Amino acid sequence: MKKRKGEDEPWAPEPEVMAETTDIEGRWRDLDRLLLRPGILVGPGFEPGIDTRDMIRNDCRVLVIGAGGLGCELLKDLALTGFGNLEVIDMDTIDVSNLNRQFLFRMRDVGQPKAKIAAERVMERVKGVNVVPHYCRIEDKDSSFFDQFQIIVLGLDSLEARSYINAVVCGFLEYEPDGSPILTTIKPMVDGGTEGFKGHARVIIPGMTPCFQCSMWLFPPQVTFPLCTLAETPRSPAHCIEFVHLIQWGQDRTGETFDPDNPEHMKWIYEQAAKRAEQYSISGVTYSLTQGVVKNIIPAIASTNAIVAATCALETLKIATMCSKGMEVFMQYTGTDGVYMRTFQNEKDPNCIVCSAGVPVEVEATTTLQKFIDVLLKDSRFKNKISKPSVSLQGENLYMQAPPILEEETRPNLLRPLRTLMGGEGGILNINDKRLKGILRVQVIFKTTDVDMDTAGGG
Amino acid sequence: MIKLFSVKQKQKEAAESANGRAPVKKQSPGELRVQKDISELNLAKTTSISFPNGKDNLLNFEITIRPDEGYYQGGTFVFTFQISQVYPHEAPKVKCKTKVYHPNIDLEGNVCLNILREDWNPVLSVNSIIYGLQYLFLDPNPDDPLNHEAAEVLRENPRQFENNVRRSMAGGYVGGNHFPRCI
Amino acid sequence: MRVRTGEEAVVRLDLTENAAKRRCLEKEATPGVQAMAQRNKKYDRQLRIWGEQGQEALEKANICVLNVGPTGAEALKNLVLGGIGSFTIVDGSDIQASDLGNNFLIEWDSVGRRKASAVCSVLHEMNESVEAKFVEESPEALIESNPSFFGQFTLVIATQMSEFALVKLDQICRRYDVLLLVARSYGLFGHVRISVKEHVVIEAKPDNKVEDLRFHKPWPELRRLVEEFDIDTKDPVIHKHIPFGVLLIKILDDWKAEHGGQMPSSLRELKAAITSRRRSDDEDNYKEALKAAYLVTSPPVLKPELLAALNDRCAELDSLSSEFWIMVAALKQFLENEGQGEPPLDGSVPDMHSFTEYYIRVQKVYQARAEADAAAVEERVRSILKQIGRDPNAISKTTIKHFCKNARNLRVYRYPKISEECSSRAGTEFQKLLAAEDNSNAALYVLLRAVDRFAATYKRYPGVFDSEIEDDICQLKSTAADVLNDIGSSGASIPDDLVSEICRFGAAELHCVAAVVGGIAAQESIKLLTGQFMPLSGPLIYNAISATSTVFNC
Repeated sequence: MKKRKGEDEPWAPEPEVMAETTDIEGRWRDLDRLLLRPGILVGPGFEPGIDTRDMIRNDCRVLVIGAGGLGCELLKDLALTGFGNLEVIDMDTIDVSNLNRQFLFRMRDVGQPKAKIAAERVMERVKGVNVVPHYCRIEDKDSSFFDQFQIIVLGLDSLEARSYINAVVCGFLEYEPDGSPILTTIKPMVDGGTEGFKGHARVIIPGMTPCFQCSMWLFPPQVTFPLCTLAETPRSPAHCIEFVHLIQWGQDRTGETFDPDNPEHMKWIYEQAAKRAEQYSISGVTYSLTQGVVKNIIPAIASTNAIVAATCALETLKIATMCSKGMEVFMQYTGTDGVYMRTFQNEKDPNCIVCSAGVPVEVEATTTLQKFIDVLLKDSRFKNKISKPSVSLQGENLYMQAPPILEEETRPNLLRPLRTLMGGEGGILNINDKRLKGILRVQVIFKTTDVDMDTAGGG
Repeated sequence: MIKLFSVKQKQKEAAESANGRAPVKKQSPGELRVQKDISELNLAKTTSISFPNGKDNLLNFEITIRPDEGYYQGGTFVFTFQISQVYPHEAPKVKCKTKVYHPNIDLEGNVCLNILREDWNPVLSVNSIIYGLQYLFLDPNPDDPLNHEAAEVLRENPRQFENNVRRSMAGGYVGGNHFPRCI
Repeated sequence: MRVRTGEEAVVRLDLTENAAKRRCLEKEATPGVQAMAQRNKKYDRQLRIWGEQGQEALEKANICVLNVGPTGAEALKNLVLGGIGSFTIVDGSDIQASDLGNNFLIEWDSVGRRKASAVCSVLHEMNESVEAKFVEESPEALIESNPSFFGQFTLVIATQMSEFALVKLDQICRRYDVLLLVARSYGLFGHVRISVKEHVVIEAKPDNKVEDLRFHKPWPELRRLVEEFDIDTKDPVIHKHIPFGVLLIKILDDWKAEHGGQMPSSLRELKAAITSRRRSDDEDNYKEALKAAYLVTSPPVLKPELLAALNDRCAELDSLSSEFWIMVAALKQFLENEGQGEPPLDGSVPDMHSFTEYYIRVQKVYQARAEADAAAVEERVRSILKQIGRDPNAISKTTIKHFCKNARNLRVYRYPKISEECSSRAGTEFQKLLAAEDNSNAALYVLLRAVDRFAATYKRYPGVFDSEIEDDICQLKSTAADVLNDIGSSGASIPDDLVSEICRFGAAELHCVAAVVGGIAAQESIKLLTGQFMPLSGPLIYNAISATSTVFNC
């Protein structure tokens, strides 16, 4: 079935004012012990009482990204943790292979959007909670969408999506000139991930704890086989499958785009791989393995998802209310040998290309890009660090030293006022230079003049 | 710390500044890093780069190589580069757009170059890949073949191989396969 | 079939019968092959973890869950999704408003109804291929009135029960050879423990598989294979396509020949010998040989768990010995004879950069050796069976081969009785943890036992009434001191913070904590039922404040 990407219909009814009847006396007895009573092992600023409970029920908006194995659990957990306003975004439809863990879905739901069904089922069971579904890609939403939420919880299975959301959320972050993050611009994220009996949960408070990019190295690179091994010296069933997938498909089915969700395509890959394996006396090519290799299927079970999601939901509650001390920022779970649940405090990358403050540079409001570059070159803080800097603003290349084709195209910008190029406001510029190991983030602050009072410095 | 997430206050602020904030195009870490790679490119005179989607989309570009020595002297070969959003965690996807008779490049444009797959690591860059590609034309390697026939000819009979390369680049047939002219 | 249990009958849901009828009808209409394909699709993501054998074990399991508050309900939910055979819920309570605030399996309009039946029907709707039953009676009453009731199950999961009832239940389960798993959520803390006389694991599936490749002592066929290769061949293509295993054995042989039969004294020496034979530093087979060189200088040794099993008193057989212990006895004989100190080879070979044909030849030599080892063990199993007066074919060839393939990773677990956990534990690892500076999780173990004693004395848990929290804190402190005294740790101290927090929670069962504890309970159930992976080796404490857990090895 073809996914209807980009569609985002408001299935959920308009948020209704919570009826008094949804709160039968004593319903939240257990949770109230945590929220209404003072405690000792609590976070800074915890204010026990009805206001805190009402805040998470009525005012705090939480976005859950992904309505799969973790997403279903997260919605349930957050709803039963007192969060009253949830939204969920997922571009996928329900597949039979989801049913062993995505407990909100049934056989009859196969083919339906996950976000829609998940939202309906949670609202049906947990009265009073409002869950708004979004059946679309995260890239379809602009940053103002994400800005509406106080906390964003991630139940994703891809590195790309995590990295994308991280960049969006860290994009909201602003720093004071002294390099400390401006508290009101911080949007906390809680991220979960599982694979078989293993998983992790982490809390990201941009500007204060390591962001996703700071610790990208925690994720192992995907295993890839050399193409010539696949072509010439296959030795394992996976080699045979990858050959057919990556090379033979293009040779034998020219012009057809391979679709891993098309059963005929998958069957063809399997049959050809089996033939190839036989030819090389390799045993072990099965349909299941073929799917596993081609789709890079990650094994998944209900229990690990439940454990990781509940950990994420609890941390979400702690961030929102401070009703308990938060965990160290990274929790690792392993359930293959007994149960191993440990937390770590990993380091923030001070030069992170996504979340770091950037070096503040103050310039006149009328400075041109060329002048700005001259200022950088003269700045003692960058001495011997830059010689021929290229300058970019977000995705826009303001001036590129190389290659010649881009240099020529961006050269006219040198004479333009930086402030115009930056859309009238200060902010972060990325400086690239051969002498720099990474990317230098510069926080541009325009000096305020008497003539120009409407934009204050500070980025 | 509760002030940090003091929801009501924040919502009010958000409402106040809602019309001030222009939507900014979000940039992935992959884009940031490739920006660096591209701005520091050091292309040999035999190599050029083009950006079919304009200067602000660096995730997709083409590299053209015109070897000035070796078997492939005088040919023009175009490679497409696709950079992932999580580059350099993942290697770029590189394909040869020009149909070429080459032991390490198959007729569909797949390229067997270790740093594109099993030996990729994040300290490598677009520059390293371009060097690798240039090297493939200077010194085709019959030991790691993707085009088995071409590799065999190179190993057994380099003169014949040279003739085949010339013929293919001139727009002729080699072993029943037609190659468009690229010289 | 209807089973009588005390006053209440086991009620089998009508739903189940209808579903069963429907399934029969479906079966007639569509071939069973199709139903099987559907099942395989549904369970695909877990079949990749525990395989068909594991799934069949789950489908045979008959599980009893005591109390279906959020902890029991969440544990069962995960197992029902995974496709267990059948379950029976035992719960005597009526649904209250507070159930709506922490239990996802309670429907809004079911307040006042019986919890056992309500949760049962919701779970049945979740996966209709699982048989669902319930008993509307309190577990405590059932333990007293009808202990034999528990004998029908594969596994009993007891949730939110006090130590006193558990001690009795434990005795019953041990009598009937039923697995017992205990799970409890208490405020931001949790506790899971397993109780069973003996649990043996053949397929431990360790994360880091030990490569058993015998480079340090190649057997004749492997040596013969190595001799077929000329690793100094002039052909550069062949030179870089000789499997690293062949390189290592040959280079080691040459080294020994040059050094009067001595092994290299260090890994560095061996690596230098390898490097001297390669032609260039981009030969992949040599890169692999360097990486694997440690296997020559430090080949895998027998793990302590395996040694413990070999020396276990159960390895002394009698006519009632289990299949497992008979095979262990055979393994022991094998090690002392044909194996020359090594267990049977598992026959798997990692990928080696080489021509397909070379690699397949290597693979075949290893597989042949594994077959031969398994055959030798099989012969010993047969003769042992005969000796102890049993049918020599009582254990299948497949079972023996499976055992041999996993011989290096065998594990035996024995858990103390719950009643014995209360006795003195002087000098144990637990006491060391309790004496440590940050002893939070060990202290929680003590406190969770203390709240049960508190409840036995005061007929309520500490902190349930706002007005009595301060008094309860004092009482709980002194109860905890009693517990410490009983387990022989009277010198240890329990942090006041934790005592206060426990009283603050007032026995609350929070949904998220229940989801973690229930998740762990389900996971451990799956390990026990499939006999795969390694279950908890002792009681576990889960601390949701720090998001950590600690297992106390007994």
